[in-house]
Formats: sequence, C-alpha cells, structure tokens
Amino acid sequence: MDVTNLTFLFYGYSAAWIVITAFVLLLVSRGRRIDRELSRLKALVDDKQKA
Amino acid sequence: MPHGLSTAFAIARKDLRTELRTKESINASASFALVILVLFSFAFNLERDEFYAISGGLLWLVFVFAGALIVNRSFSRELPNDCLDVLVASPAPGWAIFLGKAMAAFVLLTIVEAISLPIFGLFYNIHWMDSAGPLVIIILLATWGITIVGAAFSAVIVNVRLRELMLPVLLYPILIPLLIAAMGSTTALLSGEQMTGDNFSYIRQLIGFDAMYTALALYMIEFILVV
Amino acid sequence: MREKAIWALGLLGAVVMIYNLHTVFLNLPDEAMQGAIYRIIFIHVPAAISAQVFFTVSLVASILFLVKKNHAFDAVAVSCIEVGTMLVLVNLVTGSIWGKSQWGIWWAWDLRMTSQLMCFLLYLGYLVVRPAIAEPTQRATMSAFIAIFAYADIPLVDLAIRLPNVRTQHPGAVLETGQMAPMFIPPFLVGILAVLLISTALVLVRLHQETSQREIDSLRRELHAL
Repeated sequence: MDVTNLTFLFYGYSAAWIVITAFVLLLVSRGRRIDRELSRLKALVDDKQKA
Repeated sequence: MPHGLSTAFAIARKDLRTELRTKESINASASFALVILVLFSFAFNLERDEFYAISGGLLWLVFVFAGALIVNRSFSRELPNDCLDVLVASPAPGWAIFLGKAMAAFVLLTIVEAISLPIFGLFYNIHWMDSAGPLVIIILLATWGITIVGAAFSAVIVNVRLRELMLPVLLYPILIPLLIAAMGSTTALLSGEQMTGDNFSYIRQLIGFDAMYTALALYMIEFILVV
Repeated sequence: MREKAIWALGLLGAVVMIYNLHTVFLNLPDEAMQGAIYRIIFIHVPAAISAQVFFTVSLVASILFLVKKNHAFDAVAVSCIEVGTMLVLVNLVTGSIWGKSQWGIWWAWDLRMTSQLMCFLLYLGYLVVRPAIAEPTQRATMSAFIAIFAYADIPLVDLAIRLPNVRTQHPGAVLETGQMAPMFIPPFLVGILAVLLISTALVLVRLHQETSQREIDSLRRELHAL
C-alpha cells in the first residue's frame, strides 16, 4: 500500500508542477512575443520620426 | 423612479410587439426545445419510475438551452441601424432599458416553457398537472433568474466576436446555483413531494439568487450601456 | 529595478518551497490512515487558498477600475484571475489524484471539488471572452463586469451544493473537519506562504506584460497618426 501511495504522491506533485511550469512557459513565450513586437514598433516609430 | 419604470415597460412592450409579430425567437427556441426533448429520449433508456429522478434536471436543461437563444437576441436585435447606440444615447436611464429587455425576454421564455412543458409531460409520461401550482412558481422564479443574468451578459457581449458561442460559456456557469435549485425542486415536485421543510430551501435559494443578481445587474448595467 | 524585485520574489518563493518540501518529505512521518499520499495537502490546499486571495484582489481591482477608469486596475484584475485560475487547476488536478488514491475514483462530486470546479468554469469564461473584445476600454469594462458577477456567484454555488440531495458530504472530509495534528500545521502554513510568494511573482510578471501590451497599443496608434 505504501508503494502505491508513493506512486500517487509522485504523480500528484508532478501534475502540480507540470501545470505551474506550463503556465510559466506560457508567460515566457507571451513575454518574448510582446518584447519583440515592442522593439519592432519602437524602431518603426523612430524611423518615421527621423524621416 | 416612476418615469424609469414606465420607460422599462415601454421598451418591454416594444420588444414583445416586434417579436410577436415575426415570432422568430419563439419559433426557433420552441423548435430547439422540442428537438432536445426528443434527443434526450434517446439518451436514456429508463423505466418510467426511474425517470422521475432525472425529470427536473432534464426539464431545466431544455429550458436553459432554449433560454440562451432568447436572451441572446435581447440586445443583438438592436444592432442593425445603430438602434442600440440610439437607445443608449436617449434620455432613458440605462437600467430602464435593461429592465425592459429582461422583462420581454422573461415573457418570451415563459411562452416557450409553456409550450415545452405539456410536450415534456406527453413524451415522458410525467404528471406535472398534479403539482401545477408550486411548479409554476418555481418556473417563474428560475426563469426570471435566467433572463435577468442572460440579458445582462447579452448586453456585455453584444459587440463581441462569436457572440452566440460566448454567451453559453459565460452564462451557464453563473446560472449553476439557480439551476441546481430549480432542478432539485422540480424533481422533488414531480416525484410528488411537497415544498416544505428541506425542500423549501430550494425556493429560498431561487429567491436569493434572483434578488442578488437583479440588484447587481440593475446597478452595474450603467457601466455597460455606454455609447 | 522592478524586474530584479520580481526575480527576488520568485527566488524567495522557490527557496521557501524547497525548504518546505524538504520538511514535508523528509521530516514528517507517514499518516496513519492514508500513508504517504496525505503530503499532497501541502500543495493542494495552499493552491486553493492562494487562488481565493487572488480572486478577491481581482474583485477589488475590477470594482476600482469601474469607479476610477484607470487601466492599471484592469491589468491587476486580469493578471490575478489568470494566475488564480491556474492555481485552481492545480487544486483540481492534485485533488483528483488524491481522490483516485484514497477512494479509487478520479472524480467524486463532493462539496469542495464541485465548488472548485465551478470556480474554474466561472473564471474560464472571463478568460475566454476577454480576448474576443477588441477595444481596450470596452474589454476592461466588460471584463470587470464579468469578474464581479463571477465572484458573486461563488458563495451562491457553495450554498447551492449544500442543498438537500445535491452533493454528499462524502470524501474530502479531512478538510471539512479542520482537524490537523499540530506537527503538520507549520509546514502547512509555510506551504501557503511559498505558493503565495511564487504566484505573486507570476502575477507581477503578467502585470508587466499587460503594461507592455498597452504600450504596444499606444505605439500602434502613434504609428497610425504619423
């Protein structure tokens, strides 16, 4: 019984960490996308202002 | 205050008159209810006695699905020709416009329910006439809850893409406490129980839900109905 | 500076979490009835409590947005709701696994789990509808409205599932009785702190992204004007 319980415990904590990690990865990818867009737009605005 | 209320009634009358002329919503909603009733008969293969246990749940699923169709139209019918902007810009108070539309949706949904209930009784051999009195009260209370929250969300998503898909996603979770009480009390009634003692808590829940969300919606609709 | 603060917060949370996990796994004995699986409580419940905290913050932020019309409040609301919904998912998943281990079923429609599932659905609606509204002020207003309605529903859901014959008091009773052996309480509280710290860091990151997004919107408008 103890071994089965440990297995479930492992799965339980793994599941929790997978959800949290997935969310963090989502945030990171969204952050990168936003940073890219931001620098692109800033460059565009600078160009237009110089021109 | 009286001025606002008479505006609300005027808007309710207008909506009802438009709708009853074409009967678009009622026809679509009633047909949909009928189709679901038929589909459910294939979903379950229960003995007549066993069926009473799920009768309330089934009935309210039908009503709430039909209701979503009706409340969706409440505000979206004002979109062509910028009628919604004109309404909002008019001196009519926001809460009055909203209340009028909610009342109209309430009447329309009640009509659809009045059509569906006998058909439900027919298809599934449920003797609902025995407890008609309390049943009508529960139906009216729960329908008000559905229409007031439904109309509020209809106003919120009137300008959103994929409106018909978004409304169920928003509406059904919020209605769950109401539906639990409605389903529980309807099942109890149809199974021959009285609305006393334990069962009365269902009615309390319905009234509580209605009171809270009516107040909340009326108060907050001003933020939504802006030009 | 701000980024450093977020990193520091996240790191602190991670350290507290690792310390707590060490205590939970290595210093605490197995529980009499449940064996090892009871340790899941040290992340299952803190996730739920943190989610509640964030949802409450989002309610206040939503109300403040409607009153003051400052988009910063809207940013706080969406960040809190996103992280809160994720935490509820953690709670549901760990609860389900705990349930499978204890009662042999993946899902039991008991009071707590049903209530959490409803909470998840309510805020899922918020997260699904929000991107569909194009105009920022409208999006913020509608989101605030939905958030307030959703929050108001939670106590009603709790009342409803306590109605007769709706849900059994069945499983999950460990938390209902509120009895916990004294030696379990410190790791439990530290666990709450750890989850709160980590998720606050996540909220701040999300908040920063929301601000950047608004900057993007204003740059786009500026580009249009030029």
